[in-house]
Amino acid sequence: MLVPPSACRRNDTGSLIMPNFIKALTDRLFGWEGFLLSILIVTMLVNVSQSAMFLTIGNQINLFQLSIEKIIVALVMTLIIINGEIDLSVASMMGLAACAFGWLFQIGVPVPLAILLVLLIGAAGGAFNTFWITRVGLPSLVVTLAMLIGFRGLARVLVEDRGITDFPDWFDALGQQAILGPFPLSLLIFLGLLAFLIVVLHVSGFGRYVYMIGINKSVAEYSGVDVARVKATLFIASSTIAALAGLLYAARVGAVRGDVALGFELDIITMVLLGGVSIFGGSGSLIGVLLSILIVLNLRNGMALVNITGHIQTGVIGLLLILSVLLPNIRAYLGGLWSRRRPAAGAGGPE
Amino acid sequence: MPLAVVAGKSRPQRRPGSIGCDSKSSIMTDYVLEMRGISKNFAMTAALDGISIGLRPGEVHGLVGENGAGKSTLIKIMTGVHQPSHGEILVDGRPVTVASAQAAQALGIAAIYQEPMVFPDLDVAENIFIIHRDQGAFVNWRRMHDDARAIIARLGIVLDVERAASGLTLAEQQTVEIARAISLDVKVLIMDEPTASLSAHEVRQLMAITAMLRASGVAVLYISHRLEEVFDIADCVTVLRDGQHISTRPIAEVSPERLVTDMVGRDVGEFFARSKSHARDEVVLAVRNLTRNEVFSDIGFEVHGGEIFCLAGLIGARRTDVGLALFGVAPADEGEILIASEPVRIRRVRDAMARGIAYVSEDRRKLGLALPESITANISLPTLSAYLSKLGLIRRSAERAMAETHRRRLNIKTPHVGIEVGKLSGGNQQKVMLAKWLNAEPRVLIFDEPTRGIDVGAKAEVHAIIHELAGVGVAVIVISSDLPEVLALADRILVMREGRQMGIFTAAEATQENIMRLATGQAERPEAA
Amino acid sequence: MGVLLDRLSPQVLRVLALVIVLILVILFFGSQIDNYFSARLFNRISTSVAIMALIAVGQTLVVLTRNIDLSVGSIVGFTAYVTGQLLVDSPELHPLLALLAAIAVGAGFGAINGLLVAYGRVPAIIVTLGTLAIYRTMLVEFSGARSITTASLPDWLLELPRLNVFSVGGFDLRFQVAVMLVVVIAFHLVLTRLRLGRMFYAVGSNPEAASMAGINAARIVFIAFVLSGALAGLAGFMFLARFGNITVVAGLGFELKSVAAVVVGGVNIFGGSGTVIGVLLGAVLVDLIDASLVRWQLISEFWRDGLLGLLILLAVAADAVLMRQFIAVRQRRAREKQSRMLAHAGAAERVPA
Repeated sequence: MLVPPSACRRNDTGSLIMPNFIKALTDRLFGWEGFLLSILIVTMLVNVSQSAMFLTIGNQINLFQLSIEKIIVALVMTLIIINGEIDLSVASMMGLAACAFGWLFQIGVPVPLAILLVLLIGAAGGAFNTFWITRVGLPSLVVTLAMLIGFRGLARVLVEDRGITDFPDWFDALGQQAILGPFPLSLLIFLGLLAFLIVVLHVSGFGRYVYMIGINKSVAEYSGVDVARVKATLFIASSTIAALAGLLYAARVGAVRGDVALGFELDIITMVLLGGVSIFGGSGSLIGVLLSILIVLNLRNGMALVNITGHIQTGVIGLLLILSVLLPNIRAYLGGLWSRRRPAAGAGGPE
Repeated sequence: MPLAVVAGKSRPQRRPGSIGCDSKSSIMTDYVLEMRGISKNFAMTAALDGISIGLRPGEVHGLVGENGAGKSTLIKIMTGVHQPSHGEILVDGRPVTVASAQAAQALGIAAIYQEPMVFPDLDVAENIFIIHRDQGAFVNWRRMHDDARAIIARLGIVLDVERAASGLTLAEQQTVEIARAISLDVKVLIMDEPTASLSAHEVRQLMAITAMLRASGVAVLYISHRLEEVFDIADCVTVLRDGQHISTRPIAEVSPERLVTDMVGRDVGEFFARSKSHARDEVVLAVRNLTRNEVFSDIGFEVHGGEIFCLAGLIGARRTDVGLALFGVAPADEGEILIASEPVRIRRVRDAMARGIAYVSEDRRKLGLALPESITANISLPTLSAYLSKLGLIRRSAERAMAETHRRRLNIKTPHVGIEVGKLSGGNQQKVMLAKWLNAEPRVLIFDEPTRGIDVGAKAEVHAIIHELAGVGVAVIVISSDLPEVLALADRILVMREGRQMGIFTAAEATQENIMRLATGQAERPEAA
Repeated sequence: MGVLLDRLSPQVLRVLALVIVLILVILFFGSQIDNYFSARLFNRISTSVAIMALIAVGQTLVVLTRNIDLSVGSIVGFTAYVTGQLLVDSPELHPLLALLAAIAVGAGFGAINGLLVAYGRVPAIIVTLGTLAIYRTMLVEFSGARSITTASLPDWLLELPRLNVFSVGGFDLRFQVAVMLVVVIAFHLVLTRLRLGRMFYAVGSNPEAASMAGINAARIVFIAFVLSGALAGLAGFMFLARFGNITVVAGLGFELKSVAAVVVGGVNIFGGSGTVIGVLLGAVLVDLIDASLVRWQLISEFWRDGLLGLLILLAVAADAVLMRQFIAVRQRRAREKQSRMLAHAGAAERVPA
């Protein structure tokens, strides 16, 4: 059943008789995404058996709302990891954005202007990361690790050890109340971003570049692809969306402090990797990430229903992350043992 | 011959013929390494089918065959990377199993590959001795350096053993690997395409080292696409084709033509024959005083439409760097580049592409192709904007149709164009890379080592494509270390040495000898008119 | 200068550069902060570095093999708590046994990481991101969210941080610092003198070549993680002794600080090169700036994390840019030397004897 995530996107036909699309479909169903789907169904069934209220729209939306900032950021992170990079600074940028908003609000800047300025801070932070990655040529792991510390530090400089609250009611309402049918603004942003990024990553030329650079940066460069521009776009987008998520957090909670979104980067990256995106870049899909987001949300909800505390939930998700890569490896290993006993059906192929 | 090799039970018995070299009056059973009836099946295909081969101490055994003939698989079985499905391996007459690289090493079998396996952060001496298991827990740096110097000296080369391997040339790295093998007192040394990326001078050096190894009683298995080397160094030669043993003969008893016929299973005829020049009058590309600081200086030449212009020289002559400067990867610091008499500035790859310059890289796997992607996606990469809708979305059907056209035109052997490029053979990968740049319809096409590591048949096809391009007026620049290839293709030849231009020959003037004299700096020559 | 260029290895050059930066930073803060060169500050920083340097040495071993250990902070927290609980429950336990228990628990956690990375073939960043959460969860569960308090710990442990090996005019060499120095020197010797140590470099330098050459790369990676865990366990013990109060957030964020020390200390984040001496200096630099900013009147102490981030960037960028230059010059000189030698050899060949 399990196929390593990296194998999901491969689309060659073993036999020539089966048409491409059927092969692609079965690949998906029996591949990583199918695996995720079955886990999702199991968790949902367990949840339903625990509480009849579970499948109501209200509860489902609530589910999303509790982690909405993380899952918004996870969408852009998917593109960054497929591109062969990583952005560890997103959670700190969320914190910085929330604190900057609080600080601007406190010194009397009108809220709409403050929102605009915060988004600009987000873009500037992304541009700062980009400079070190594409101009100086440092690995993004190091750059964004430094800015994980750096952005958080700036957030602390702005609010020190205070908490800022009492934002205008309309601002808090944006984070808390439904604005279209039962949907709050943040969920609409998530759904809109998801649809937009699916088109960008899987249908557009830009998305092709994202994959190609992730597979082999040099090949892309030698083919005239503007690698620096693609990376800049992704990092600036990532940081700006993180700033937006920070604002949504401030609106939802109605207060900011220096430790807003502390440690969120782990959850975000876990969701992406669990979705079958290769940490080495070049493969993965937003569909997989969407499934993994749903699993994580439902799992947390389900655990809450059976009175499992937040810390254990985090541990379980950590475990899930490791298993998501370990299980396919074990399967491949066992498959190898099997074929060694029956040499005629060995895996692999001639050079 | 003590040979009654029956591999698979269901297999019809087939006498593999002589498996070692019979020309010497030696006893038949003195093989240091003998493979008997080795078969290897992968998922669906049989990569090797009852191969038998025997290696004697003090003998260089050539192994030739087209790509996919099974050479790599055979080597991997010898070195413990793969296990044979059938058949047995004997070392010094005793049956053994080679379970791992470590086991092969313990049996005295070592291999060096096209791309040397060195540790860039360790120094030369440590690279040689790191795998020694008999030296205790502690590192004695001084003794290690002294021992390394002794081994390097035995090889008759100049190399500072305290240098980090990261700064070594490919040839030097290979030397380090040979030194490593010698330090382990190997009985069998397998050399897999060792000269694929070496310059002529370095090849001579390697030949000398190989001869020395032979003299000291090592059995060498020498795999190469360059037949002249095999004739140069081997005592006997085995041909594989499609996983089958075709022939094993003393080198004195075969002719190059015979060998090629054995390899391809058909008559290829004169594929190195010169065809007539397609050069036109108009100058497409002109280069004046091109200089990249510390790399090359004062390069100047003109290439006409339809002309095939070769850059010859040894490795380290900086020919690739000139190509990369024209293509904008590593732009020149000084000098002029003119396209159709119009000066152009090339600072990045996109500038070059906008001027109709394309560059087919020498390193297919690292710089040329995205192996896990489809043939279609690889071909369209440089020209992707042509297959985008107004909204920036990919027009898949147009893209696939384009790839399909190239598949037919270049005879790329694949069921369909959605297949991962990584699953194709080397020759077909090379064609995909060609298609990728042909699709950009360049005015100037730079080929860097276009036929390195591909088999004879594919080589001829690549040459035909180059001629075809010249025929339609493309200015073709070929960078090649393969002198026979240069002489067969070129209308004119520019010889470089250590970043300097040594001279330009016309096809009529050029011979292997006078090119080599310039390339090695044994003769200075004023610029040809 | 030319000879210097040929002789000095990049590693030595990195260490020299770090020493110079360190001196400049000390001089700068010395001019800004009154009473900067006091014994109190020295003692404070040295004991603080003692803990971080231990973790950073472990991190170095892992990074050398082209991996990363993000779980060290959680391991420190867990071992600190468990050892504390052990001593609360049985105060008569021999100090050495308590120490060994801490190291063993850390090594056990490291072994789990190592198994998953080396034999489960799961990328280190995924494994340790997961175990970072899992080990912390275990701490919360194990402790039931209660804390260890100073009052409940035996006296010998609480006196340990003030234990002196010797002192010169108020500048103490505390016991913990001495232990750290011994560990650093030991691992420096392991990495430069022991065949096993060189394997760390080989595996990180070219994993493929390592396995082709018959080096058991998986075992080396496994050992690196076990040692990293063991050192984190030792650091957890020191942490317990130094602070006495252990809550569920003990050691939070240490993984980032240790990676910072390693990177500032000149270890290549992609494996294969670096020294423990450099890493020690990196840890000192990171802690020194941290501690000095708290005392600097001119700017708020809240700036320290922001500046730390910038420092890491600058250190890595300077290292990357300078090393690129240095290696280019080095290679050119080597090429020239080589071609001179070849020219000589060639000339000799052509002259008929």
